[in-house]
Amino acid sequence: MNLAFSEEQEMLRKSARDFLTNKCPKTLVRGMEADKKGYQTELWKEMAELGWLGLPFPEKYKGGGFKFLDLVVLLEEMGRACLPGPFLSTVVLGGLPILEWGSEEQKQHILPKISKGEAILTLALTESSARYDASSIQTTAILKGNDYLVTGTKLFVTDAQIADWIICAARTSKKANPEQGISLFLVDAKSSGISTVLLSTIAGDKQCELTLNKVRVPKSNILGNLGQGWEMIKRIIEWAALAKCAEMVGGNQQVMEMSVNYAKERIQFDRPIGSFQVIQHYLADMSIDVDSSRIVLYKAAWKLSEGLPCSKEISVAKAWISDAYRRVATQAHQIHGAIGFTKEHDLELYFRRAKAGEVFFGDVDYHREIVAQQLGL
Amino acid sequence: MDFLIDDKEKAFRQEVRDFVREMLPPGWMGVDPGPEEEEREEVLQLSQKVWRKMGEKGWIGLGWPKEYGGQEDPVKDWVLKEELIYSGLPGMDIAAVQGDLILAFGTKEQKDRFIPPITRGEVKYAIGMSEPNVGSDMFNLQLKAVEEKDCYIFNGQKIWNSGIHRADWCVVYARTDPNALKKHLGISVFIIDPKSPGITMRQITQMTGLGAFCEVFYDNVRVPKENLLGQKNKGKDVSMHAFAIERSYGLVILHNARRYFDQLVQYCKETSVNGQPLAKDPLIRNKLAEMAVEIEVGRTMGERLNWMGCQKMVTVIPSCQNKIHGARVAQRVSNLGMQILGLYGQLDETSKWVQLGGRMRHMYLSSRAWSLAGGTSEMSRNIIAGKYGLGLPS
Repeated sequence: MNLAFSEEQEMLRKSARDFLTNKCPKTLVRGMEADKKGYQTELWKEMAELGWLGLPFPEKYKGGGFKFLDLVVLLEEMGRACLPGPFLSTVVLGGLPILEWGSEEQKQHILPKISKGEAILTLALTESSARYDASSIQTTAILKGNDYLVTGTKLFVTDAQIADWIICAARTSKKANPEQGISLFLVDAKSSGISTVLLSTIAGDKQCELTLNKVRVPKSNILGNLGQGWEMIKRIIEWAALAKCAEMVGGNQQVMEMSVNYAKERIQFDRPIGSFQVIQHYLADMSIDVDSSRIVLYKAAWKLSEGLPCSKEISVAKAWISDAYRRVATQAHQIHGAIGFTKEHDLELYFRRAKAGEVFFGDVDYHREIVAQQLGL
Repeated sequence: MDFLIDDKEKAFRQEVRDFVREMLPPGWMGVDPGPEEEEREEVLQLSQKVWRKMGEKGWIGLGWPKEYGGQEDPVKDWVLKEELIYSGLPGMDIAAVQGDLILAFGTKEQKDRFIPPITRGEVKYAIGMSEPNVGSDMFNLQLKAVEEKDCYIFNGQKIWNSGIHRADWCVVYARTDPNALKKHLGISVFIIDPKSPGITMRQITQMTGLGAFCEVFYDNVRVPKENLLGQKNKGKDVSMHAFAIERSYGLVILHNARRYFDQLVQYCKETSVNGQPLAKDPLIRNKLAEMAVEIEVGRTMGERLNWMGCQKMVTVIPSCQNKIHGARVAQRVSNLGMQILGLYGQLDETSKWVQLGGRMRHMYLSSRAWSLAGGTSEMSRNIIAGKYGLGLPS
């Protein structure tokens, strides 16, 4: 056992922190909340130059050949900085499934573009039931000649308004078991019949209603095997949940540090409020949430990186970190008082993101149910 | 970074599990670690048998130097503890932890005298720290030890000394300098024979019904000078070390709770209500999974803590974090267990209607102590907040 990061990982963390401190001030974060695109093209290009966008892809796709654990290091720093933009959508929801199940042609076509910052991707999974289960997928894909016609309405699709490619889950056949007959399609976002409406969300991130009206998708754009989409989706949900955990851990760490610093500086009754035992105990409990979140994240990410079974670890992490981040952010507000309640202070950015992260790719109850199944209940 | 467990550790874990299986009486539901449950005769008998057997196997003090019968292997030492505690097999005596102190602060003569009987599993230890007016404020202790020519004379009182009425030795904290400028400066530590003339004790029955606590009175008790552990008036160093080596206490609590939890899960699988197993009830599934998550988080925190310990890193903060988390999880498991058992939860093992051997009721009561013993959760939070942790002002 060795729970220390490698020198390379430490360097990645440091350079990411330096870069984001410089390039991602909170003015940008707030600006992007109001912006329709939700990201800055300049910054996106620089991230591509730094090798971030191709981090987990092999070199032959212009990637860095890094593992999920390395990606976690980067995502933590992005969460800490509240980096706006389609990184998780493009690399995790879009890129990783193509890398895992795409044909060589699909990989050659799309992955280098992701690495170079020339393609934005996302995944269209959830629909109006707003649940991550198979029966919720009602969008249909009907074969007409060499093309499928995809029709349906997807909800909470991140960054669809700027996507070049959308991996879309649709039913290709009706089966008694809702987990059967689902396929994944690589949909060109410029296809006719596609429209997006931005939803106004608590975190100011870009989530869309995506309508597909007889969108023509060539047969060759099926990702993986026809009708076996649900098995892939289950894996994608795990990756996405874990990637979000990494962002949340980074945000949580930042909230913790802000709160400790504030408690040391804020004077009331002629002394720093951090000298009051009640504040000290709040912060001590918060530190348990923060430090425990980080280690369960790393354990799940390490297992995933090594190709070991990790469904339980990922669900433990998502269930725990979702609760822990909300607890910490809530308590941080109590410590900060009125200033934290305003748009003039950064804390509210994290509080809103903690809630968004909690419900993203499986809320606490969703992941507890997976843990229950693992217990043999 | 890797969370790999090496083959040596896996093999030793299996060896311990085989040993546990051999020692467990049929139908044994398990007991809490520590001297409390040794108040029951059958637990005491089993505990002594296990302790001796562990001595024969060379398993006591696995982390200790080879010249004192150890293997200098802290990983094995922890694996043994974890497996024993999870199994609910009694036997791991306080002596194992007190031996750490003797090895750290004892003279060569003391080590040669006190350590071999421990590694043979022959002796039981107790700790004498608390007094009627000394709980969390431990440096305020008042038990007086006055130096004479060949001994110290003890006068005063200790309380909450668990198992001292059965112990061969007790590590006692006493005031040797009543005029010290600061109260933590005038303390010394002694290894005392509880059968010494002048010592009287009264058992105090705990909420669980077990009379494990003792109130201990010292009336001109003569303690030989060679039983002073560490330097005179430097007892603070010993006590700080004692807290440091207790770093795994939160994990002890957690792994003990894990047994109760697994029994509860089994109960929910096997018990049907209205023709359906409890395990199929969505509310119960959710609650059990919630606990499973908290236990898993605690175990992973423990992996980090033990790894840090093996790397000789400072573990004050993570051990406090584990202590708070472990106690909280254990109490929540017992609360959930009692909630699921409902009316049955009230019964003890003497009833033919009892479920889970009455253990959940026991844990519901005994777990109150786990956020108190070994430093209250509040003291742990103070430490996390302080100069070794978050650095908040005092």
